[in-house]
Amino acid sequence: MPPPDDLVARAQAGDQTAFRELYRRHAGRVYALCLRLTGDARDADERTQDVFVRLWDKVRSFRGDSAFSSWLHRLTVNVVLNERRTTGRRERRIMPAEDPGEVAGAQHAAPLQESAGLSIDLERAIAELPDGAREVFVLYDIEGYGHGEIAQLAGIAEGTSKAQLFRARRLLREKLER
Amino acid sequence: MNERELHEAVSRLPQSIEPPRDLWPDISARIKVSPWRRWYWVPLAAAAVFVLVMIGRSINPTAWDVTALAGRPLIGTQRLAASGRLRVGDWLQTDDSSRALVAVGRIGQVEVEPDTRVQLVVARADEHRLALARGTIAAKVDAVPRLFFVETPVGTAIDLGCAYTLATDSLGKGVLHVTGGQVEFQTGRRSSRVPLGALMQMRPATGPGIPYVEDAPAPFVRALLAVDFEKGGARATRNILALARPQDALSLWHLLQRVDPSLRAMVYDRLAALVPPPPGVTRRGAIALHSPDLEGYWTTIERIHFRIMVLRGVRDIDPRTGRALH
Repeated sequence: MPPPDDLVARAQAGDQTAFRELYRRHAGRVYALCLRLTGDARDADERTQDVFVRLWDKVRSFRGDSAFSSWLHRLTVNVVLNERRTTGRRERRIMPAEDPGEVAGAQHAAPLQESAGLSIDLERAIAELPDGAREVFVLYDIEGYGHGEIAQLAGIAEGTSKAQLFRARRLLREKLER
Repeated sequence: MNERELHEAVSRLPQSIEPPRDLWPDISARIKVSPWRRWYWVPLAAAAVFVLVMIGRSINPTAWDVTALAGRPLIGTQRLAASGRLRVGDWLQTDDSSRALVAVGRIGQVEVEPDTRVQLVVARADEHRLALARGTIAAKVDAVPRLFFVETPVGTAIDLGCAYTLATDSLGKGVLHVTGGQVEFQTGRRSSRVPLGALMQMRPATGPGIPYVEDAPAPFVRALLAVDFEKGGARATRNILALARPQDALSLWHLLQRVDPSLRAMVYDRLAALVPPPPGVTRRGAIALHSPDLEGYWTTIERIHFRIMVLRGVRDIDPRTGRALH
């Protein structure tokens, strides 16, 4: 098995075989992050593809300043959050949300039940969180980001990140106690 | 479930979850067609540049529209039938029976009177510049100050948002009459501020004279010309001071800066008697031509003058204070 650095270098040179190997090694980690951030298996599927297509375009800009996995992790977060911001704007334009709760409910209408064999209650509860609360919870409590970083990545105030985290934890505890 | 139990549950979540299906075929298909995507921006960028250039040309034309108002003015060697374009470097010339209207970019217009010769020197969004070699132009500009300049043989008229008529002969003898806003006229050594309702003579070698209001008495104007262009000295200065009225304060403000230093105190005292200086302006500072004192005084003089002009025929304004008279 070639070392990761070698694979990255070959991918940077346009070697698709090496790039496929990178995909094979990192797909699970990327998919898990996409799944938790989106709360939807179908979206996670699409975002994972987006991440690797984006990676193919951007891999040459990786300079080795950090571990490749960390760099890819950050790329994944950016792809998912950017997509959500774009989709959110588009949906708001198409569907003026008279009842925001109704729209949020629609976004979670087809969550994880049939996907990936996930049966853990916590995963399901996370998926059912409102978008903003879920993103902050995943990034802070699962992925270990700080509120400052989350605020920057999600385009929100640091205070909002803290409030969303508090809300997410409270909702999760309530869901898991039922 | 409490906070600690939640944290423990979170820490047990797997870091990796395999996708339910192999995503590689879809990814592979997308990155195989991706080479075009690396270059798709080229035609788009070219189109964007083209559009920007076209917009730039329309916003900031490098030539100005010219319309013949009478006769057939010349642009270069071409006779203008009805309308045409004046490009940077082109000369526009009218004879004794022709007139033309020049659009100053998008900020105003200049009417070129008979027997006039003007050249377009600069046509940019941030600088509109004509050279008036001889003749008469009437300019109207609606823009922020210092966008429109007219060079004459003796100096440059700088528009401060205004309307004015400027006439000069080929040597530089001429007159500026401002009918709206204010014009600054500059040479290397002298500068005059001419507000609406004021005129200013100019002469070769000397440059701009002292501005005076439209209704200034003829003896007062003659005395100004004597100081400006005939080396009138102390006698002419005393004449000016004796004839000056409060509404002539703008002339005395200029005079203060042009007389011999030994005469400044006399000029200042007369000016202060006609229009009291505002707080903060000191006699000593003004006589020393200290800029803050001069500018502070000018602000007051200019304000009073504008009130008189703008409210002319509507309300009588005290020319000493600018307050309405009852």
